[in-house]
Amino acid sequence: MQLLETTRNHQSELAKYCRTGQYNPIQGVNERHVGRYRQLVINVVDDTLRSAFPLTCNLLSPDEWTKEVNDFFSSHACQSPQVWSMPKEFWAYVKDQQPAIVKKYPFLDELLWLEWLEVEMFMMEDKTAGHTPAGNLKKDKIVINPEHHLQYFTYPVHLKNAQQITKTDKGHYFLVLHREPVTGKVKFTNLSPFLARMVELLAEKPRTIKELIKKTSREIGIVPDQQLAEDVLHFLENALAGGLIHGFVNK
Amino acid sequence: MTGIGFRKDFAEEFLQSSVLQPSFLEVAPENWIGVGGYWKKQLNKALKRYPLFLHGLSLSIGSPDPLDLDFLRKVKTFIKETGAGIYSEHLSYAKCDNAHLYDLLPVPFTADAVDHVSERILQVQDLLQQKIAIEIVSYYTPVAPEMTELEFINAVLRKSGCDLLLDVNNIYVNSFNHHYDPYQFIDGLTIDNVSYIHMAGHLKIADDLIIDTHGEAIIDPVYQLFDYAIRKLQKDVPVLLERDFNIPDLAELQHEILQLEKIKRDALKEKSYATA
Repeated sequence: MQLLETTRNHQSELAKYCRTGQYNPIQGVNERHVGRYRQLVINVVDDTLRSAFPLTCNLLSPDEWTKEVNDFFSSHACQSPQVWSMPKEFWAYVKDQQPAIVKKYPFLDELLWLEWLEVEMFMMEDKTAGHTPAGNLKKDKIVINPEHHLQYFTYPVHLKNAQQITKTDKGHYFLVLHREPVTGKVKFTNLSPFLARMVELLAEKPRTIKELIKKTSREIGIVPDQQLAEDVLHFLENALAGGLIHGFVNK
Repeated sequence: MTGIGFRKDFAEEFLQSSVLQPSFLEVAPENWIGVGGYWKKQLNKALKRYPLFLHGLSLSIGSPDPLDLDFLRKVKTFIKETGAGIYSEHLSYAKCDNAHLYDLLPVPFTADAVDHVSERILQVQDLLQQKIAIEIVSYYTPVAPEMTELEFINAVLRKSGCDLLLDVNNIYVNSFNHHYDPYQFIDGLTIDNVSYIHMAGHLKIADDLIIDTHGEAIIDPVYQLFDYAIRKLQKDVPVLLERDFNIPDLAELQHEILQLEKIKRDALKEKSYATA
Protein backbone atom coordinates (compact mmCIF):
# COMPACT_ATOMS: atom_id res chain seq x y z
CA MET A 1 0.00 0.00 0.00
CA GLN A 2 1.34 3.42 -0.93
CA LEU A 3 1.37 6.20 1.63
CA LEU A 4 -2.08 7.78 1.49
CA GLU A 5 -2.40 11.42 0.55
CA THR A 6 -3.97 12.16 3.93
CA THR A 7 -1.01 10.67 5.81
CA ARG A 8 1.40 12.51 3.55
CA ASN A 9 -0.47 15.76 4.20
CA HIS A 10 -0.42 15.28 7.95
CA GLN A 11 3.33 14.75 7.86
CA SER A 12 3.78 17.74 5.59
CA GLU A 13 1.71 19.97 7.87
CA LEU A 14 3.78 19.03 10.92
CA ALA A 15 7.00 19.61 8.99
CA LYS A 16 5.75 23.00 7.76
CA TYR A 17 4.92 23.99 11.32
CA CYS A 18 8.43 23.04 12.43
CA ARG A 19 9.92 25.13 9.64
CA THR A 20 7.70 28.20 9.90
CA GLY A 21 6.23 28.21 13.40
CA GLN A 22 2.78 28.73 11.88
CA TYR A 23 0.46 26.02 13.10
CA ASN A 24 -2.53 24.75 11.16
CA PRO A 25 -4.58 22.17 13.06
CA ILE A 26 -3.55 18.57 12.37
CA GLN A 27 -5.83 15.66 13.12
CA GLY A 28 -5.06 13.90 16.38
CA VAL A 29 -2.30 16.28 17.43
CA ASN A 30 -1.94 17.39 21.05
CA GLU A 31 -1.83 21.15 20.63
CA ARG A 32 -0.36 21.68 24.08
CA HIS A 33 2.71 19.67 23.23
CA VAL A 34 3.21 20.01 19.49
CA GLY A 35 5.12 23.25 20.09
CA ARG A 36 8.02 21.19 21.44
CA TYR A 37 8.77 20.07 17.90
CA ARG A 38 9.02 23.60 16.56
CA GLN A 39 11.28 24.51 19.50
CA LEU A 40 13.49 21.45 19.10
CA VAL A 41 13.90 21.96 15.36
CA ILE A 42 14.55 25.70 15.42
CA ASN A 43 16.92 25.31 18.38
CA VAL A 44 19.05 22.84 16.44
CA VAL A 45 19.12 25.15 13.42
CA ASP A 46 19.83 28.27 15.46
CA ASP A 47 22.54 26.59 17.58
CA THR A 48 24.23 25.15 14.51
CA LEU A 49 24.26 28.52 12.74
CA ARG A 50 25.47 30.38 15.84
CA SER A 51 28.28 27.90 16.23
CA ALA A 52 29.33 28.22 12.57
CA PHE A 53 28.92 32.00 12.34
CA PRO A 54 29.92 33.57 15.68
CA LEU A 55 31.18 36.79 14.05
CA THR A 56 27.99 37.29 12.05
CA CYS A 57 25.85 36.50 15.07
CA ASN A 58 27.79 39.09 17.02
CA LEU A 59 27.46 41.68 14.25
CA LEU A 60 23.68 41.39 13.86
CA SER A 61 21.30 42.49 16.59
CA PRO A 62 19.40 39.62 18.27
CA ASP A 63 16.26 40.54 16.31
CA GLU A 64 18.16 40.70 13.01
CA TRP A 65 19.77 37.35 13.68
CA THR A 66 16.49 35.67 14.63
CA LYS A 67 14.76 37.10 11.56
CA GLU A 68 17.46 35.87 9.18
CA VAL A 69 17.53 32.40 10.74
CA ASN A 70 13.74 32.11 10.65
CA ASP A 71 13.45 33.45 7.10
CA PHE A 72 16.18 31.08 5.95
CA PHE A 73 14.74 27.98 7.55
CA SER A 74 11.15 28.68 6.55
CA SER A 75 11.85 29.56 2.92
CA HIS A 76 14.86 27.40 2.11
CA ALA A 77 14.62 23.61 1.90
CA CYS A 78 17.78 22.37 3.62
CA GLN A 79 19.41 19.71 1.51
CA SER A 80 22.26 18.39 3.58
CA PRO A 81 21.57 15.30 5.69
CA GLN A 82 24.59 16.34 7.76
CA VAL A 83 23.62 19.18 10.07
CA TRP A 84 27.20 20.39 10.46
CA SER A 85 27.31 21.30 6.77
CA MET A 86 23.88 23.02 6.75
CA PRO A 87 25.43 26.48 7.51
CA LYS A 88 26.90 26.49 4.01
CA GLU A 89 23.31 26.62 2.77
CA PHE A 90 22.69 29.68 4.96
CA TRP A 91 25.64 31.43 3.32
CA ALA A 92 24.35 30.48 -0.16
CA TYR A 93 20.85 31.66 0.78
CA VAL A 94 22.13 35.09 1.85
CA LYS A 95 24.32 35.37 -1.24
CA ASP A 96 21.57 34.34 -3.66
CA GLN A 97 18.52 35.92 -2.04
CA GLN A 98 20.20 39.17 -0.95
CA PRO A 99 17.84 39.79 1.98
CA ALA A 100 17.40 43.40 3.16
CA ILE A 101 20.09 42.98 5.82
CA VAL A 102 22.71 42.85 3.04
CA LYS A 103 21.99 46.54 2.28
CA LYS A 104 22.98 47.36 5.85
CA TYR A 105 26.00 45.06 5.77
CA PRO A 106 27.17 44.81 2.14
CA PHE A 107 30.04 42.53 3.20
CA LEU A 108 27.72 40.04 4.93
CA ASP A 109 28.02 37.24 2.40
CA GLU A 110 31.81 37.55 2.48
CA LEU A 111 31.84 37.44 6.28
CA LEU A 112 29.62 34.36 6.24
CA TRP A 113 31.84 32.75 3.62
CA LEU A 114 34.96 33.45 5.68
CA GLU A 115 33.36 31.84 8.72
CA TRP A 116 32.10 28.89 6.69
CA LEU A 117 35.53 28.36 5.15
CA GLU A 118 37.00 27.88 8.61
CA VAL A 119 34.39 25.21 9.39
CA GLU A 120 34.82 23.51 6.04
CA MET A 121 38.61 23.53 6.18
CA PHE A 122 38.55 22.11 9.70
CA MET A 123 36.12 19.35 8.79
CA MET A 124 37.08 18.50 5.19
CA GLU A 125 38.41 15.12 4.19
CA ASP A 126 42.14 14.62 4.32
CA LYS A 127 44.21 15.43 1.24
CA THR A 128 47.73 14.24 0.74
CA ALA A 129 50.66 15.32 -1.40
CA GLY A 130 53.90 13.44 -1.91
CA HIS A 131 56.75 15.38 -0.32
CA THR A 132 59.76 15.20 1.93
CA PRO A 133 60.00 17.52 4.92
CA ALA A 134 63.74 18.02 4.49
CA GLY A 135 65.00 20.40 1.82
CA ASN A 136 66.37 23.77 0.96
CA LEU A 137 63.91 26.62 0.43
CA LYS A 138 66.42 28.47 -1.73
CA LYS A 139 67.03 25.64 -4.16
CA ASP A 140 64.47 22.82 -4.01
CA LYS A 141 61.00 22.57 -5.50
CA ILE A 142 58.49 23.52 -2.87
CA VAL A 143 55.31 21.50 -2.14
CA ILE A 144 52.34 23.43 -0.79
CA ASN A 145 50.00 21.88 1.78
CA PRO A 146 47.11 20.54 -0.34
CA GLU A 147 44.77 21.37 2.54
CA HIS A 148 44.66 25.05 1.71
CA HIS A 149 42.23 27.46 0.10
CA LEU A 150 43.09 30.73 -1.61
CA GLN A 151 40.41 33.39 -1.26
CA TYR A 152 39.74 36.82 -2.71
CA PHE A 153 37.48 39.27 -0.88
CA THR A 154 36.25 42.77 -1.69
CA TYR A 155 35.97 43.65 2.01
CA PRO A 156 38.59 43.05 4.72
CA VAL A 157 36.40 40.60 6.63
CA HIS A 158 39.49 38.67 7.74
CA LEU A 159 41.35 41.79 8.89
CA LYS A 160 38.88 44.09 10.62
CA ASN A 161 36.25 43.78 13.28
CA ALA A 162 33.04 43.36 11.29
CA GLN A 163 31.38 46.22 13.17
CA GLN A 164 34.07 48.60 11.90
CA ILE A 165 33.92 47.65 8.22
CA THR A 166 32.44 50.37 6.01
CA LYS A 167 31.87 50.84 2.31
CA THR A 168 35.11 52.81 2.12
CA ASP A 169 36.98 49.58 2.91
CA LYS A 170 35.97 48.11 -0.42
CA GLY A 171 39.03 46.92 -2.28
CA HIS A 172 41.05 43.82 -3.16
CA TYR A 173 41.99 41.46 -0.38
CA PHE A 174 43.62 38.07 -0.58
CA LEU A 175 44.14 35.43 2.01
CA VAL A 176 45.04 31.80 2.20
CA LEU A 177 43.62 29.39 4.75
CA HIS A 178 45.30 26.12 5.52
CA ARG A 179 44.81 23.25 7.89
CA GLU A 180 47.78 22.80 10.14
CA PRO A 181 48.85 19.18 9.66
CA VAL A 182 49.51 18.23 13.31
CA THR A 183 46.75 20.02 15.22
CA GLY A 184 44.19 20.24 12.43
CA LYS A 185 43.61 23.90 13.29
CA VAL A 186 42.78 26.31 10.47
CA LYS A 187 45.19 29.19 10.01
CA PHE A 188 44.64 32.40 8.07
CA THR A 189 47.38 34.29 6.23
CA ASN A 190 46.78 37.67 4.64
CA LEU A 191 48.48 37.96 1.25
CA SER A 192 49.59 40.64 -1.14
CA PRO A 193 48.47 40.13 -4.75
CA PHE A 194 52.03 38.99 -5.55
CA LEU A 195 52.03 36.32 -2.83
CA ALA A 196 48.49 35.27 -3.73
CA ARG A 197 49.57 34.57 -7.31
CA MET A 198 52.62 32.74 -6.00
CA VAL A 199 50.45 30.51 -3.83
CA GLU A 200 48.24 29.88 -6.85
CA LEU A 201 51.27 28.85 -8.90
CA LEU A 202 52.46 26.55 -6.14
CA ALA A 203 49.05 24.93 -6.04
CA GLU A 204 49.45 24.08 -9.73
CA LYS A 205 52.72 22.23 -9.21
CA PRO A 206 55.86 22.33 -7.06
CA ARG A 207 58.24 25.09 -8.08
CA THR A 208 61.52 26.56 -6.86
CA ILE A 209 61.63 30.00 -5.28
CA LYS A 210 63.50 31.25 -8.33
CA GLU A 211 60.81 29.98 -10.68
CA LEU A 212 58.08 31.46 -8.50
CA ILE A 213 59.64 34.93 -8.36
CA LYS A 214 60.43 34.97 -12.06
CA LYS A 215 56.98 33.85 -13.24
CA THR A 216 54.99 35.93 -10.77
CA SER A 217 57.03 39.09 -11.45
CA ARG A 218 56.61 38.68 -15.19
CA GLU A 219 52.83 38.21 -14.89
CA ILE A 220 52.37 41.13 -12.51
CA GLY A 221 54.75 43.35 -14.45
CA ILE A 222 57.42 44.17 -11.92
CA VAL A 223 61.17 43.80 -11.99
CA PRO A 224 62.32 41.49 -9.22
CA ASP A 225 65.06 42.82 -6.97
CA GLN A 226 66.99 41.66 -3.92
CA GLN A 227 64.37 43.03 -1.52
CA LEU A 228 61.61 41.08 -3.24
CA ALA A 229 63.69 37.89 -3.07
CA GLU A 230 64.26 38.42 0.64
CA ASP A 231 60.56 39.11 1.27
CA VAL A 232 59.49 36.00 -0.59
CA LEU A 233 62.04 33.88 1.25
CA HIS A 234 60.79 35.27 4.56
CA PHE A 235 57.19 34.45 3.60
CA LEU A 236 58.13 30.92 2.59
CA GLU A 237 60.12 30.35 5.78
CA ASN A 238 57.09 31.34 7.83
CA ALA A 239 54.83 29.25 5.60
CA LEU A 240 57.05 26.21 6.11
CA ALA A 241 57.12 26.73 9.87
CA GLY A 242 53.34 27.24 9.99
CA GLY A 243 52.44 24.28 7.80
CA LEU A 244 51.26 26.13 4.68
CA ILE A 245 54.29 24.71 2.93
CA HIS A 246 54.41 20.94 3.34
CA GLY A 247 58.02 20.46 2.30
CA PHE A 248 59.87 19.59 -0.87
CA VAL A 249 59.63 17.32 -3.85
CA ASN A 250 60.87 13.81 -3.17
CA LYS A 251 64.20 13.28 -4.87
CA MET B 1 28.57 -5.40 26.58
CA THR B 2 27.79 -1.80 27.44
CA GLY B 3 28.89 1.08 25.27
CA ILE B 4 28.81 4.84 25.21
CA GLY B 5 27.85 7.40 22.61
CA PHE B 6 31.18 8.84 21.40
CA ARG B 7 30.61 12.59 21.66
CA LYS B 8 33.00 15.33 20.59
CA ASP B 9 32.33 17.08 23.91
CA PHE B 10 34.32 14.49 25.81
CA ALA B 11 36.22 12.62 23.08
CA GLU B 12 39.63 14.01 23.90
CA GLU B 13 39.38 13.49 27.67
CA PHE B 14 37.96 10.01 27.12
CA LEU B 15 40.76 8.94 24.78
CA GLN B 16 43.46 10.31 27.07
CA SER B 17 42.31 8.57 30.25
CA SER B 18 41.07 5.18 31.36
CA VAL B 19 38.26 6.46 33.57
CA LEU B 20 35.53 5.56 31.14
CA GLN B 21 35.68 1.94 30.01
CA PRO B 22 32.90 1.11 27.58
CA SER B 23 32.81 -2.11 25.59
CA PHE B 24 32.01 -0.28 22.38
CA LEU B 25 31.30 3.16 20.97
CA GLU B 26 28.37 4.47 19.00
CA VAL B 27 28.35 7.44 16.64
CA ALA B 28 25.88 9.04 14.28
CA PRO B 29 27.35 8.51 10.80
CA GLU B 30 26.02 11.94 9.79
CA ASN B 31 28.54 13.55 12.13
CA TRP B 32 31.54 11.68 10.75
CA ILE B 33 31.02 10.87 7.08
CA GLY B 34 33.35 12.95 4.90
CA VAL B 35 35.17 14.34 7.92
CA GLY B 36 38.96 14.54 8.03
CA GLY B 37 41.55 16.42 10.04
CA TYR B 38 41.42 16.54 13.82
CA TRP B 39 38.17 14.64 14.24
CA LYS B 40 39.14 11.88 11.87
CA LYS B 41 42.31 11.38 13.90
CA GLN B 42 40.23 11.17 17.08
CA LEU B 43 37.85 8.68 15.49
CA ASN B 44 40.74 6.58 14.22
CA LYS B 45 42.24 6.53 17.70
CA ALA B 46 38.92 5.38 19.10
CA LEU B 47 38.52 2.72 16.41
CA LYS B 48 41.87 1.20 17.37
CA ARG B 49 40.53 0.58 20.88
CA TYR B 50 36.81 -0.05 20.53
CA PRO B 51 34.25 -1.70 18.25
CA LEU B 52 31.88 0.79 16.64
CA PHE B 53 28.10 0.84 16.22
CA LEU B 54 26.28 3.39 14.08
CA HIS B 55 23.05 5.13 14.95
CA GLY B 56 21.69 7.26 12.14
CA LEU B 57 19.77 10.51 12.38
CA SER B 58 18.90 11.64 8.87
CA LEU B 59 17.80 8.65 6.85
CA SER B 60 14.21 9.62 7.58
CA ILE B 61 12.82 6.15 7.23
CA GLY B 62 9.27 7.37 7.90
CA SER B 63 9.34 10.26 5.45
CA PRO B 64 6.89 10.68 2.57
CA ASP B 65 9.92 11.77 0.51
CA PRO B 66 11.98 9.25 -1.46
CA LEU B 67 14.89 7.66 0.38
CA ASP B 68 18.18 9.48 -0.09
CA LEU B 69 20.03 6.65 -1.79
CA ASP B 70 23.20 8.68 -2.34
CA PHE B 71 23.43 9.30 1.37
CA LEU B 72 22.66 5.65 2.10
CA ARG B 73 25.55 4.60 -0.15
CA LYS B 74 27.83 6.88 1.85
CA VAL B 75 26.60 5.19 5.02
CA LYS B 76 27.37 1.82 3.43
CA THR B 77 30.90 2.94 2.64
CA PHE B 78 31.31 4.31 6.17
CA ILE B 79 30.11 1.00 7.65
CA LYS B 80 32.73 -0.78 5.56
CA GLU B 81 35.51 1.68 6.41
CA THR B 82 34.88 1.58 10.14
CA GLY B 83 33.86 -2.07 10.44
CA ALA B 84 30.75 -0.96 12.31
CA GLY B 85 28.82 -3.82 13.87
CA ILE B 86 25.28 -2.43 13.95
CA TYR B 87 23.51 0.25 11.95
CA SER B 88 20.35 1.49 13.55
CA GLU B 89 17.91 4.27 12.67
CA HIS B 90 14.77 5.86 14.08
CA LEU B 91 11.15 5.01 13.44
CA SER B 92 10.42 8.61 12.59
CA TYR B 93 10.98 11.17 9.86
CA ALA B 94 13.48 14.00 9.69
CA LYS B 95 12.92 15.19 6.12
CA CYS B 96 9.71 16.24 4.39
CA ASP B 97 8.81 18.28 1.31
CA ASN B 98 12.46 17.92 0.26
CA ALA B 99 13.69 19.76 3.37
CA HIS B 100 15.73 18.34 6.22
CA LEU B 101 14.43 19.22 9.68
CA TYR B 102 17.34 17.93 11.80
CA ASP B 103 15.05 16.39 14.41
CA LEU B 104 12.89 13.31 14.72
CA LEU B 105 9.18 13.80 13.97
CA PRO B 106 6.53 11.19 14.79
CA VAL B 107 5.14 9.07 11.98
CA PRO B 108 1.32 8.77 11.98
CA PHE B 109 0.30 5.40 13.40
CA THR B 110 -1.62 4.28 10.31
CA ALA B 111 -1.82 1.11 8.24
CA ASP B 112 -0.47 2.83 5.11
CA ALA B 113 2.47 4.18 7.12
CA VAL B 114 3.23 0.65 8.34
CA ASP B 115 3.42 -0.52 4.73
CA HIS B 116 5.40 2.51 3.61
CA VAL B 117 7.95 2.34 6.42
CA SER B 118 8.32 -1.44 6.14
CA GLU B 119 8.98 -1.26 2.42
CA ARG B 120 11.64 1.38 3.01
CA ILE B 121 13.31 -0.65 5.73
CA LEU B 122 13.48 -3.58 3.31
CA GLN B 123 14.90 -1.25 0.65
CA VAL B 124 17.58 -0.01 3.08
CA GLN B 125 18.47 -3.55 4.17
CA ASP B 126 18.66 -4.62 0.55
CA LEU B 127 21.05 -1.81 -0.35
CA LEU B 128 23.19 -2.25 2.74
CA GLN B 129 22.99 -6.03 2.52
CA GLN B 130 22.52 -6.20 6.27
CA LYS B 131 19.72 -6.08 8.79
CA ILE B 132 19.11 -2.78 10.49
CA ALA B 133 17.64 -2.06 13.92
CA ILE B 134 14.82 0.45 14.26
CA GLU B 135 14.43 2.56 17.38
CA ILE B 136 11.13 3.39 19.04
CA VAL B 137 11.39 7.17 19.35
CA SER B 138 10.10 9.40 22.08
CA TYR B 139 7.23 11.55 20.84
CA TYR B 140 5.30 14.45 22.29
CA THR B 141 2.12 14.17 20.30
CA PRO B 142 0.57 11.50 18.12
CA VAL B 143 -0.39 12.51 14.58
CA ALA B 144 -3.69 11.28 13.13
CA PRO B 145 -3.41 7.84 14.76
CA GLU B 146 -5.53 4.95 13.51
CA MET B 147 -3.91 2.42 15.83
CA THR B 148 -1.89 2.40 19.03
CA GLU B 149 1.85 3.00 19.08
CA LEU B 150 2.35 -0.61 20.13
CA GLU B 151 0.26 -1.94 17.26
CA PHE B 152 2.16 0.28 14.87
CA ILE B 153 5.61 -0.84 16.03
CA ASN B 154 4.71 -4.53 16.08
CA ALA B 155 3.21 -4.26 12.62
CA VAL B 156 6.39 -2.66 11.24
CA LEU B 157 8.53 -5.34 12.87
CA ARG B 158 6.31 -8.11 11.54
CA LYS B 159 6.17 -6.73 8.01
CA SER B 160 9.80 -5.68 7.65
CA GLY B 161 11.48 -8.34 9.79
CA CYS B 162 14.01 -5.78 10.96
CA ASP B 163 15.58 -5.74 14.40
CA LEU B 164 14.31 -3.55 17.21
CA LEU B 165 16.43 -1.05 19.07
CA LEU B 166 14.70 -0.93 22.43
CA ASP B 167 15.19 2.53 23.89
CA VAL B 168 13.97 1.93 27.43
CA ASN B 169 14.05 5.61 28.34
CA ASN B 170 11.88 6.43 25.34
CA ILE B 171 9.32 3.90 26.47
CA TYR B 172 9.33 5.45 29.92
CA VAL B 173 9.01 8.97 28.46
CA ASN B 174 6.22 7.95 26.09
CA SER B 175 4.34 6.06 28.80
CA PHE B 176 4.36 9.19 30.95
CA ASN B 177 3.46 11.59 28.15
CA HIS B 178 0.75 9.35 26.67
CA HIS B 179 -0.54 7.76 29.85
CA TYR B 180 0.14 4.07 29.49
CA ASP B 181 1.88 1.40 31.55
CA PRO B 182 5.47 0.96 30.29
CA TYR B 183 5.63 -2.61 31.65
CA GLN B 184 2.52 -3.61 29.74
CA PHE B 185 4.01 -1.93 26.69
CA ILE B 186 7.13 -4.09 26.93
CA ASP B 187 4.95 -7.15 27.51
CA GLY B 188 3.16 -6.36 24.27
CA LEU B 189 6.25 -5.77 22.15
CA THR B 190 7.61 -8.32 19.71
CA ILE B 191 10.52 -8.73 22.06
CA ASP B 192 12.33 -11.39 20.02
CA ASN B 193 13.38 -8.72 17.53
CA VAL B 194 15.35 -6.74 20.11
CA SER B 195 19.04 -6.72 19.18
CA TYR B 196 20.18 -3.54 20.90
CA ILE B 197 19.15 -1.38 23.85
CA HIS B 198 19.56 2.34 24.49
CA MET B 199 19.49 3.88 27.95
CA ALA B 200 19.46 7.60 28.75
CA GLY B 201 18.25 10.34 31.03
CA HIS B 202 15.40 12.76 30.45
CA LEU B 203 13.96 16.00 31.77
CA LYS B 204 10.48 16.60 33.14
CA ILE B 205 9.54 20.09 32.00
CA ALA B 206 5.87 20.16 33.01
CA ASP B 207 3.44 18.14 35.07
CA ASP B 208 2.35 16.35 31.93
CA LEU B 209 5.48 16.38 29.75
CA ILE B 210 8.89 14.73 29.82
CA ILE B 211 11.49 15.55 27.17
CA ASP B 212 14.01 12.97 26.02
CA THR B 213 17.09 15.15 26.46
CA HIS B 214 19.98 12.70 26.86
CA GLY B 215 21.25 15.40 29.18
CA GLU B 216 20.61 13.92 32.62
CA ALA B 217 21.54 10.80 34.56
CA ILE B 218 19.32 7.73 34.21
CA ILE B 219 16.67 7.70 36.93
CA ASP B 220 15.73 4.67 39.02
CA PRO B 221 12.35 3.98 37.38
CA VAL B 222 14.15 3.70 34.03
CA TYR B 223 16.76 1.35 35.54
CA GLN B 224 13.85 -0.72 36.90
CA LEU B 225 12.21 -0.81 33.50
CA PHE B 226 15.54 -1.87 31.99
CA ASP B 227 15.78 -4.69 34.53
CA TYR B 228 12.28 -5.79 33.58
CA ALA B 229 13.10 -5.65 29.86
CA ILE B 230 16.23 -7.77 30.28
CA ARG B 231 14.35 -10.38 32.33
CA LYS B 232 11.68 -10.46 29.64
CA LEU B 233 14.22 -10.60 26.85
CA GLN B 234 16.41 -13.28 28.43
CA LYS B 235 19.33 -12.72 26.13
CA ASP B 236 22.45 -10.65 26.30
CA VAL B 237 22.25 -7.77 23.84
CA PRO B 238 24.51 -4.70 23.63
CA VAL B 239 23.39 -1.78 25.78
CA LEU B 240 24.30 1.83 25.07
CA LEU B 241 24.47 4.72 27.50
CA GLU B 242 23.49 7.88 25.65
CA ARG B 243 24.70 11.18 27.02
CA ASP B 244 24.68 14.03 24.52
CA PHE B 245 24.44 17.17 26.66
CA ASN B 246 25.32 18.42 30.11
CA ILE B 247 28.25 15.99 30.17
CA PRO B 248 29.27 15.08 33.74
CA ASP B 249 32.63 13.80 34.95
CA LEU B 250 33.58 10.68 33.06
CA ALA B 251 33.59 8.81 36.39
CA GLU B 252 29.86 9.43 36.64
CA LEU B 253 29.31 7.97 33.19
CA GLN B 254 31.42 4.97 34.14
CA HIS B 255 29.29 4.53 37.25
CA GLU B 256 26.18 4.41 35.03
CA ILE B 257 27.84 1.87 32.74
CA LEU B 258 28.70 -0.34 35.72
CA GLN B 259 25.16 0.00 37.01
CA LEU B 260 23.74 -1.12 33.67
CA GLU B 261 26.12 -4.07 33.51
CA LYS B 262 25.22 -5.17 37.02
CA ILE B 263 21.49 -5.03 36.34
CA LYS B 264 21.90 -7.00 33.15
CA ARG B 265 24.25 -9.54 34.70
CA ASP B 266 21.94 -10.12 37.68
CA ALA B 267 18.85 -10.38 35.52
CA LEU B 268 20.42 -12.94 33.22
CA LYS B 269 22.12 -14.88 36.07
CA GLU B 270 18.87 -15.39 37.94
CA LYS B 271 17.33 -16.91 34.85
CA SER B 272 20.24 -19.30 34.36
CA TYR B 273 19.93 -20.42 37.99
CA ALA B 274 16.24 -20.96 37.48
CA THR B 275 16.76 -23.15 34.42
CA ALA B 276 19.77 -25.08 35.85
